[in-house]
Amino acid sequence: MKTLILVPFFVLIVSSNLLAQITIEGYVTDQKGHAITGANIYILDTYDGASTDENGYFSFATEESGEQVLIATFIGYRQLELPLNLAEPQDIIRISLKEDVNKLNAVVISAGSFSAGEETKREVLKPLDIVTTAGSSADIAGALNTLPGTQTVGEEGRLFVRGGSGEETKTYIDGMQVLNPYNSTIPNTPSRGRFSPFMFKGTSFSTGGYSAEYGQALSSALILNTKDIPTQNRTDFSIMSVGMDAAATRVWNRSSFSGKIQYTNITPYFNLVKQSLDLEKSPVAVDGNFAYRRKLNEDGMLKFYGNFNQSTLTSILEDIDDTRIKTRYQLDNHYYYFNTSYRDILSDKWSVKSGFAYTSGKDIIGIDQDEVIESENGMHLKTAFGYDPSPQLALNIGGEVFHRKYNHSLSEPEQDQLSKLSFEEELLAGFAEADFHISNNFVTRVGVRWEYSTLSEKTDVAPRFSMGYKTGEKGQFSFAYGQFQQTPQNELLRVANDLQPEKADHYILNYQWLTDKQTFRIEAYYKDYYDLITFDGNNLYDPAAYLNNGNGYAQGIDLFWRDNKTFKNVDYWVSYSYLDTKRKHRNFPQEAIPTFASSHNFSVVYKHFIADIKSQIGCTYSFASGRPYHNPDQPGFNASKTRSYHDLSMNISYLWKNNVIFHAYVTNVLGIENVFGYEYGNQLNEAGRHNRRAIEPMAPRFFFLGVFITLSKDKSLNGLPNL
Amino acid sequence: MKKIVLSLAFVAFTFATFANDKYQKAMLKNIPSVYSAKTFEDHQKVINNLTRIASAEEDKWEPHYYITYSYVIMSFKEENAGKKDQYLDLAQQALDKGIAIAPKESELVTLQGFIHTGRLNVDPMTRGAEYSGVAMQILNKAVKLNPENPRALLLLGQMMYGTAQFMGDSTAKACEVIGKSLDKFDTAGSSNPLAPQWGKTQAENALKECNK
Repeated sequence: MKTLILVPFFVLIVSSNLLAQITIEGYVTDQKGHAITGANIYILDTYDGASTDENGYFSFATEESGEQVLIATFIGYRQLELPLNLAEPQDIIRISLKEDVNKLNAVVISAGSFSAGEETKREVLKPLDIVTTAGSSADIAGALNTLPGTQTVGEEGRLFVRGGSGEETKTYIDGMQVLNPYNSTIPNTPSRGRFSPFMFKGTSFSTGGYSAEYGQALSSALILNTKDIPTQNRTDFSIMSVGMDAAATRVWNRSSFSGKIQYTNITPYFNLVKQSLDLEKSPVAVDGNFAYRRKLNEDGMLKFYGNFNQSTLTSILEDIDDTRIKTRYQLDNHYYYFNTSYRDILSDKWSVKSGFAYTSGKDIIGIDQDEVIESENGMHLKTAFGYDPSPQLALNIGGEVFHRKYNHSLSEPEQDQLSKLSFEEELLAGFAEADFHISNNFVTRVGVRWEYSTLSEKTDVAPRFSMGYKTGEKGQFSFAYGQFQQTPQNELLRVANDLQPEKADHYILNYQWLTDKQTFRIEAYYKDYYDLITFDGNNLYDPAAYLNNGNGYAQGIDLFWRDNKTFKNVDYWVSYSYLDTKRKHRNFPQEAIPTFASSHNFSVVYKHFIADIKSQIGCTYSFASGRPYHNPDQPGFNASKTRSYHDLSMNISYLWKNNVIFHAYVTNVLGIENVFGYEYGNQLNEAGRHNRRAIEPMAPRFFFLGVFITLSKDKSLNGLPNL
Repeated sequence: MKKIVLSLAFVAFTFATFANDKYQKAMLKNIPSVYSAKTFEDHQKVINNLTRIASAEEDKWEPHYYITYSYVIMSFKEENAGKKDQYLDLAQQALDKGIAIAPKESELVTLQGFIHTGRLNVDPMTRGAEYSGVAMQILNKAVKLNPENPRALLLLGQMMYGTAQFMGDSTAKACEVIGKSLDKFDTAGSSNPLAPQWGKTQAENALKECNK
C-alpha cells in the first residue's frame, strides 16, 4: 500500500516539474548584423528549440532547469555554444554567428592553375574531358594542350608551358615525382604520356606560381591523383586499330586491386596508311599497370601503383647531305615505375601524407653497329604534415629526398670523351606553406622551399606567395609570385656535373568568372629566367665551357572561355595564348626566340551529345602561329619562321550497348601540310646552300578505331568514365 | 521490500516508455511537415526540428532518415548546380550518421541510391555513366536487405527505366519492377509507426508512363 502511494507522488513531482516552463527568445544575426533566417537554436541534448524567422527571431518554451547549454547553428556558419542558466530570469538573447571558412564557398587561388577533380565543384576541366577531347588521342598532355598557356609543339608531344621547354614541366603522381613520364621516341616524332588518364580521379595542371610542395620544375607542374577504391568488380577489354588491352578490377571490403595489360603494335596500321618515316620495324610496346588500394581506417589510405613498359622500333634515317647514306636507328626502351603513398588524418588538427617512388628508365639505342645506352634511375621519398589549428589557418610542412643516377655509355669506346658520361645527384628539400583564410572571400598563401643538391653543393631558398580575392559570387582575382629552380637537364649535367640550378621568377595575375556552366579566365604573366646554362657548340665536351650565364624572359596573356549552357547538349571551350619570349641560353650566340615558341596559340574544342544516335561527337581546331628556326643561309640566329600550324581533329563515341562503346577519331581532317621546323645539313650543296629537310608529322592524318567492352555484375558499368 | 523494487522497476519502465513516447510523439509531429514542406524555409524548419531530436537521441536512425530525405528533395528543387551538390553533401552527412546507427536498414540504403540519383541529375552528361552504375548497385542492395521495400523497388525501377530509355532498349523489365513496387505499397506494412511512407504517387505516375 505504501508503495502505491509512492508512485503517484513520484509522478506528481515529475509533472509539477513539467509545468515549470521557461520561455527563451532572442535574435540571430551574422557578424554584419543581418538577420539569419532558418538558424537552429536549441538546448543541448533536449528537443527544446526553434528555428529563426525572417527577422532572425526565435522563441521557444522549455521545461528544463538549471545550467544548460544553448546551441545555435546554421549552414555556412560556425556552431555557437552559450551557457544558459535557467534558474535566472531570461533576457532577450542576441547571437551573432561567425561565417565558417568552408571549402565549398571559400575563394580558391586560381592563378596559374587548372584543376580537374571529380568531386570538386569549381573545376575547369573534368577528368572525362581528357579522353573525350578530339585531337587529344586520349593522352593527358594532348588534352591539356587545348588549354591556354600551352604551346603546340607537334614533333614533341610534351607539355610546353609559357615559353618553357618540355623538360620544364614536371609530372607528379599522388605527390611523387615521375622521371621520364613520356614514352621514348626517335628524334622529331611525338611521344605520348606513359600514364593512361583512366587511372586518375583528378588532375591539377599548373602553368606557374605553384605551391612550395612542388619543386624542380621551372615552368609547370602536372599533378595527377590516382583513384581511390572503386565500388565494383569489373573487367574491360578493348580492341583497337593500334593494339588491344585487358583490364580487371576486384574490390574487397576495404581494398581493391586493378591491373591492366596493353599490347600496342602499329605495324598493321602503318602498312595500311603510308608514313613519311622509313620504318624497318614499327613501334611495338607492352605496357602493364597495377594498382592496389587499401583503406586502413576511416580516413587512412594506402596506395601502391606500378607500371612497366617495354617498347621497340627501328627506323632508317636518311642523311641530309647525302641521301644515299642511310642509318639504321633502333630504339629499345625499358621502363619501370613504382609508387606507394599513404595518407591519414591523425587528429582533428593533424594529417599526414607520405610516399616513395622509384623510376627506372633505360634506352638502348642502336645506330648501325654502335650502341648507346642511356639510363636513369631515381628515387623520391617525401613526408608532409598538415596542421589546421583553426578553420582560418592551414599549414603544410614537409621534407623530401631525391636520389638520381644517370649513365650514358657507348659500346664503341673510340671517342673516349663520349664513352662514359654520368652523374649522381642527391637532392634534399624542405617546404613549409601556410594558407590563411582571412574570410571566405580572401585567402593568402605564403610558402618557402629549401633545396640542397650534392652536385651544385649549394643551398637555395625559394619564396612563394599567392593570394585570392573573391569579388562576388562568381568573380575572383588571384595573384601569384614565386621563385622556381631546376637542376639542368641530363644532357648538360652529364658533361659538367657541378652546374648550378637554372632559375625562374613567376608573376601571375588572374581574373576568373565562374558559374555552374560557364567559365571565363584571363591571366597575365611575366617570367624572368636567369642562371640558364650556356655552352660552346664547338666545344661540347669541355665541362669548363658550361656556365650558368644565360637569361631570358617570357610574358603573355592567356584567355579561356568554356560554356556548356548556351547550346543544349553542347559543351565547348576556346583558348587563346599570346607569348612573347626570348632567351640567351645553350649555344645561342645571342638572345633569340627558342624554336619551340610561337607567339599565338588558339584552340576551340567542341563536344556535342546527340541522344538520338547515342553518340558524342567532338571536334578540336588548333592554330599556332609560325615557329622560328635557324637557317644557316640567312643572316641572324633563329631568324626564320615556319608557316602557321592548323589542325582540325574529330572524334565520335557511340554507345552501342550499355557496356559496349565504339570510339573513332581522325586528326587533321583537312590534311593540311604542317611543318614544325627545318633541319639543315652541314655541307654546302652545288648551289652554295645547305640542304634542308622539313620536320613534319609522319603522316598527314592519324586514324583510330576501337571498341571498348566492360563486363560487370549487373552490366550497369561501361567504359564511358574511362573512355 | 520486493514491492518497493517492483514499483521502482515500474517507475523506471514508465519513464522509459514515457521517453520513448516523447520521441515517437515528437517524430510523429514532424514527419507530416517533411512531406508537406513547400518552400526552402519549410524544409529548413523541419530539418532543424529533426536535428534537435537527432542530437538528443543518439541511437535512433529515423531523424537522420528524414533529414536526408529533406535535403535530397531540396536539391531537386534547387536550380543552381553548385548548390544542388551542396544539399546532397548535407544529405550525405546526415545519411552517414543514420547508417552508422542502422547499417542494415533497407530504407537508409534506399536513400543512398536517392542521393546518387540526385548527383546524376546535376550533370547527366558527365555523371550519367558513373552514377547510374553505383545507384543501381546500391538500390539492388536495398532490395536485397528488404525485398518488401516499395521505395527501393521504385527507385530501382525508375533508374532502370531511364537507362533503358537512354539506350533505346525495352522498358518492360523496368516497368515490371515499378509494378512490383506499387503492389508492395499496398501490401507491405511496417510495424514501425515512424517508417517512411512516401512514394506511392510517384509509383503510380511512373506506371502510367509505362502504360503509355
